[in-house]
Amino acid sequence: MTATRRPAWAEKPTPIGQTFKTVVLTLLVLGVLFPLWAILVTSLSSRRRIAEAGGFVVIPKGLDWSAYQTIFSGGAVTQALWISMLITVAGTAISLTVTVLTAYGLSRSHSLGNRWLLAYFLLPFLIYPPLVPKYLVVTGIGLKNSIWALILPSALSIFNLVVLRGFFQGVPQELLDSARIDGAGELRILTRIVLPLSKAVVAVIGLFYAVGYWNVWFDALLFIDSNDLYPIQRVLQSYLLAGQAPITSGGAVGNTMPPTEAVKMAVVILTVLPIVAVYPFIQRHFIKGVLVGAVKG
Amino acid sequence: MNRVPLRARLRRDWQLLAMVVPGFLLLLVFSYVPIAGNVIAFQDYNPYAGGNPLEAFLRSEWIGFGQFQLLFEDPAFWEALRNTLTITAFQLVFFFPLPILLAIMLHNLLSSRIRGFVQTVVYLPHFFSWVLVITFFVQMLGGAGLLAQTFREAGLQPWNIMSNPQTFIVLVTAEAVWKDIGWGTIVFLAALSAIDPNLYEAAAVDGAGRGRRLWHITLPGLRPVIALLLILRLGDALSVGFEQFILQRDAVGRQASEVLDTFTYYYSIATGNYGYGAAAGLFKAAVGLVLILAANKVAHLLGERGIYAKS
Amino acid sequence: MTTSRRNFLELLGVGAAAIAAGPLLTGCSDRPASNGTAQNLDSITGVLPAQKDLTIAVKPDVIGTRPVPDGFTRYPASLVDAITAKPGTSGKKISAMTPVWGPAPPGLDKSAYLQAVNAELGTPVAFTVQDGNTYADKLNAMFGARDVPELLCVPGWEVEKIPRFADAVKVLFTDLTDHLKGDAAAAYPMLAAFPSGAWRNAVWNQRLYAVPNPTDTPFPYALYTRKDLLDQRGLSIPKSLDELLAMAKQITEPTRNVWAFSDVFQMIQMYFRVPASKGGWRLRADRTPEFKYETPEYRQAVEVMAKIYSDGLVHPDLVASKGADQNKLFAQNGAILFSQTGFGYWQGAQAENQKINKSLDIQPVPIFAADGGDPLVWGGSDAISYTFIKNGLPKERVEELLRIVNWCSAPLGTQEAQLRDYGVAGKHHTATPDGPVKTDLAFKEIANQYFFISGRNPTVGPFPETPHYVQDALGYSNAMVKFLERDPWDGVKLEMPARFAAYRVPAEEKITDLLRGRRPLSDLDALIKEWKDNGGEEARTLMAKALSEAGR
Repeated sequence: MTATRRPAWAEKPTPIGQTFKTVVLTLLVLGVLFPLWAILVTSLSSRRRIAEAGGFVVIPKGLDWSAYQTIFSGGAVTQALWISMLITVAGTAISLTVTVLTAYGLSRSHSLGNRWLLAYFLLPFLIYPPLVPKYLVVTGIGLKNSIWALILPSALSIFNLVVLRGFFQGVPQELLDSARIDGAGELRILTRIVLPLSKAVVAVIGLFYAVGYWNVWFDALLFIDSNDLYPIQRVLQSYLLAGQAPITSGGAVGNTMPPTEAVKMAVVILTVLPIVAVYPFIQRHFIKGVLVGAVKG
Repeated sequence: MNRVPLRARLRRDWQLLAMVVPGFLLLLVFSYVPIAGNVIAFQDYNPYAGGNPLEAFLRSEWIGFGQFQLLFEDPAFWEALRNTLTITAFQLVFFFPLPILLAIMLHNLLSSRIRGFVQTVVYLPHFFSWVLVITFFVQMLGGAGLLAQTFREAGLQPWNIMSNPQTFIVLVTAEAVWKDIGWGTIVFLAALSAIDPNLYEAAAVDGAGRGRRLWHITLPGLRPVIALLLILRLGDALSVGFEQFILQRDAVGRQASEVLDTFTYYYSIATGNYGYGAAAGLFKAAVGLVLILAANKVAHLLGERGIYAKS
Repeated sequence: MTTSRRNFLELLGVGAAAIAAGPLLTGCSDRPASNGTAQNLDSITGVLPAQKDLTIAVKPDVIGTRPVPDGFTRYPASLVDAITAKPGTSGKKISAMTPVWGPAPPGLDKSAYLQAVNAELGTPVAFTVQDGNTYADKLNAMFGARDVPELLCVPGWEVEKIPRFADAVKVLFTDLTDHLKGDAAAAYPMLAAFPSGAWRNAVWNQRLYAVPNPTDTPFPYALYTRKDLLDQRGLSIPKSLDELLAMAKQITEPTRNVWAFSDVFQMIQMYFRVPASKGGWRLRADRTPEFKYETPEYRQAVEVMAKIYSDGLVHPDLVASKGADQNKLFAQNGAILFSQTGFGYWQGAQAENQKINKSLDIQPVPIFAADGGDPLVWGGSDAISYTFIKNGLPKERVEELLRIVNWCSAPLGTQEAQLRDYGVAGKHHTATPDGPVKTDLAFKEIANQYFFISGRNPTVGPFPETPHYVQDALGYSNAMVKFLERDPWDGVKLEMPARFAAYRVPAEEKITDLLRGRRPLSDLDALIKEWKDNGGEEARTLMAKALSEAGR
C-alpha cells in the first residue's frame, strides 16, 4: 500500500539518527509489549502457577483457558458484545454525521452568526451538568433502559468538533471558491471536496467516537437496568469488581468471591483485543496520507 | 467585517446554518438543559424540597455567592489549585510535545510495516485502567518491585520512587506518558498525512536538507493542529486526572497529590454538599474560558487561526 | 492527554469504585446538617416492633454471647415449612433493586431461580441488580430524581454517602411504623424475631422506615495472620504488642519478598484502647465528651504506627497504591503475614485460597492491650442493609410487600430459606449429608437478590468446606465480645455538625502524614488544635447535649 523504498531525493539517514530512532522505538515497544505479554500469559495461567509467580506470570507453563471460560460461560458477555457492537456502529455513524455537519457548518469564520454559534458549541466543553439533572433529562424523555441513553447524550464531542473544524478550515480556499462558482451547494462541496480531503482526520475522529462508545460504562450504570442491554464494559467490569463487597459481616454478603488474577487479566485482554483487531483498518486511512495532488488535478 | 445585509447573508449561509441544527439540538437537550442544574452553586441545595425533583431546584434556599466565598476562603482549595496548575504546566512542557515528536518519528519511518506495528503497539496502554497502570509501575519501581529487588541483591539501598512527595509530579507524568503517548500521536499523524508529499520532493530538489524540510514543511503543516490542541488543553487546564491521584493519595499525602478534581470529590461529593462542587465546577469553567481566550489571542499573534477567528 | 473528555462525574464513578475497596469513611453516619442533630432512640421505643422468638427455630450447635450470633456446624437435617400461605396475593409484579458484587445475574424471564422463588411468593418480584461498588452513585441519581422501585435495598455503609438521608427517607419511602410497631409486627413473625436492637437503626425522623438486615458480627476489624507460615518459622500467634512488633521485625525480609504488615493502624489503636464510639468519642471522668485525637492513648498509637512505617514493616505495594491487592498479598502470596481487614473476610478467604494451598490456615490474632491489661474491642451494630418501601403505595400493597419481605426473612432450617439461598434441588443444588451444594447454575443465577430485600435473625454457618471455621470464629468472637467497648451514646442517632463532618477526612489525612513520616510527630498538637477549630468543639457540644437529652 505504501512505498517502502526511499525516494530518490531523500538522503541516507545518519548512523546516529538511525541508532537513536531504533533505540527509542524499541524501548517504547518493549515497554508496552512486556506488560502486555505478562497480562496475556497471566490470563492463561492456572491459579497455582499464578500463586507460584506471586503476581504476574511471565514464563508460561501450560495453557489454562478457565478464566475465559468463566467469563464466557455466563452468556452475558456474548449478548453484551452484540449490544456494544450495535451501540458502537450506530453511535459512531450518528456522531460522525452530526460532527461533520456541525464542523462544516461552523467552518466559515464570517458566516452568519458564526461567532455566537461557536460560543454556543464551545461552552459545554467548559461546564458539565450535575448528575441529577442529567438523569432527569435522560429519563424524562423516555430514554431510560434504551441504548439511545448511551448514544444521544454523548453523540457530539466538542473536542472532536473543534479538531475536525480545524482540519476543515485547512482545506485550500481556492478549491471551495471554484466549486461555489460552479454553482455547487454546500452539502455537495462538503461531500465532494472537503470530506475526500479530510479522510484521515475523519478516520481519527471516528476512532475516537468508536472507542468512546465501546468503553461506555458509567452511563450504562445510570440508565440501563436490564441485563439484556448491558454493554460489554459494564459486564466485564463486573467480573473485575466481584468480591469487592465491603466486608461487614460473617461472610453473608461476600458470597461472591474475588476474581482470580487470571480473570482480571482476561478482562484486560478482552478489552484491548477488539481494538487491536479493528485498529489496522482505520490506521490505513491516516498513516499514509491522501494524495492531495491527485485531487487537485 | 463585511457589510452585507442580513437577508443576503441569510440567503448565502442558510445551508451552513441548517447543517448545524442537529448538533445544536443535541447540545440543547443533553447539555444546556441539565447544565442549568448548576444553579445549585448558588443554593443550599436540598433535593427533597418541593413537590417534585424540578421544584427542588427552585425551592432550595438561595445563598448567593456563599459557596464561592467558602471555596475562596479555604486554604485547601488554593493548595489544590496550585498543585493542579503546576502539574498542568509541567505536563505541557514534558508531556505535550512527546506525541508530536513520536508522530514525526513514526511518519518518517520508511517501512510501513514497522510503522504500523509500532503505532499499533504504543497506543494500547491508553486502554488500560489506572489501577493497572499503577500496578505496573509498582511492580517495576515500587519497594517490592523489580528495581528495588535488583538493588537489594546488589547490596544497595533501594531508592524510594513510588511514595516520594518531592518527585510525585515526575512520577504521575511518567505514568501519563506511558499510558497516552501513543494515543496522543493519532491526531498528529492525521495532520502529517495531509501534507502534500510533493512539497518534500520539491524542497529536496531545491537543496533543503532533512532539518530544513522538517522546519519548513513538517512543522508548519502541524502548527494549526498543535495550536488547536494546545488551546483545548489550556481550556481544560484545571483537569489533570482523578483516579490516578486518588489511588496514590495516601502514598504521597494530600499536600502533593490534591488536585482540583480530587478536592471537589472530598469536599463536596463525600460530604454531600453538592452546591460546593458545582461552585468549584463553575470556577473551573471560568478559568478555562479565560485561558482559552488568552491562548487564542496568543495564537493570533503567532499567525495561527486558533479556535476563534480574529474579529 | 486524553482525547475524549470524560465527564467529571463519570470519573467520580470510577473513583468511587476504586475507593470502595477500602473503608474510606468509617464511623457513624453523620451528615452535614448545619448544626447537627441528635435523635434519641430511647424515647421512641414505642415505634419499634415487639420482639417475639420463632417457635420453629432450629437449635444451634454453638451458642454465641450476644451480640455474637449463634453458629451452625451442620446443615439442619430436616426443614420446616414456616409459611404456608402464599404472601403475594395481587399477582402484580413488584419492582425491586439490590446490589451485587460480580456479574449481574440473568433477569426474570431467563432465570429458573427467580421463577421458582416467585412461584412460591405468589407475586413475582422483578429485580434490577446493580453493581455494588457504584451503588451510591446510582442511589444518588435516583434519589435526586425521586425515581425509586417499590422495594429498595440500601446497604448500611451507603447511608452516609447520601446527603440529607433523613429528608430523602421522608419524601421517598413509606412510614412503616403503624404496620410494625409493638404487637402489629406479629403479623410478620419472621420480622418480629429479629434481635430487638436491630430495629433501632431503621428509625429516621422518630419513625420506623425500613426493615433492617441485622449484621452477623459485632466486630468491624480483625487482625489476621497466616498461621501456616508462622508454624513454618517456628513462631506462634503473638499474645502481646511487644511480641507482635518483635516478630514483625524478625519476619520482614524484603529480599525474600516478605513484609509483616498491611496498614494496621486501627488494630494498633485498639491495642492502646483508643475510643471508637460514634466515630471516636468517649466520656472523661467529669462526663464531658472527648475525641480520640485528644487522648494520650491515640498519641501512643500514632507513635507506634509511625515507627512501623519508618521501620519498613508495611508492604511497599500497599504503601504505594490504594489499588494494591492486600488480600492477594496475604492469603495467596504470603507476602504479608499480618493483615488488618474486616472480620467477615475470614471464611471466604480461607475457603477460596485453600483450593490451591492445602496447608493454608488463616487465624485471627486475639486482641490484647499494649499494657497487658484487659483489651478494648471496637464494636459496630449497623445493619448490613435496609429494605425500604416506596412512598405513596396503597395500604394493601404495602402489606403485601411486607409479607414478601417476611417470607424472604425466614431463618436457616426452613424450606423458604433453603429455596432463597440454594434454589431448587436438582437444578441449583444437590443434596448431600453436609447440606445442599450449589451447582454452576446456582452461582450464575443466585446473587443474594431476595436476601437483600429481607433481613433475618443472624446466624453463622454452616460452612462444610471450612469445617473448623464456625467453632474458631465463635470461639474468637465469644472471647472478644467480653471486651466490647461500651458506647455511652448507644441508641442515639446523631447528625454531626457540617463543619465537623467536612473536616473529618482532611483531619484523618493529616494523621496519615504523621504516620508515614511526611510530618514530624510533634505536629500532633497543632493538628488537634486545627481539629478543634474546624468543628471539633461544636461536635463536642452536640455530643454532650445528646447525652443529657438521653437522660444519661
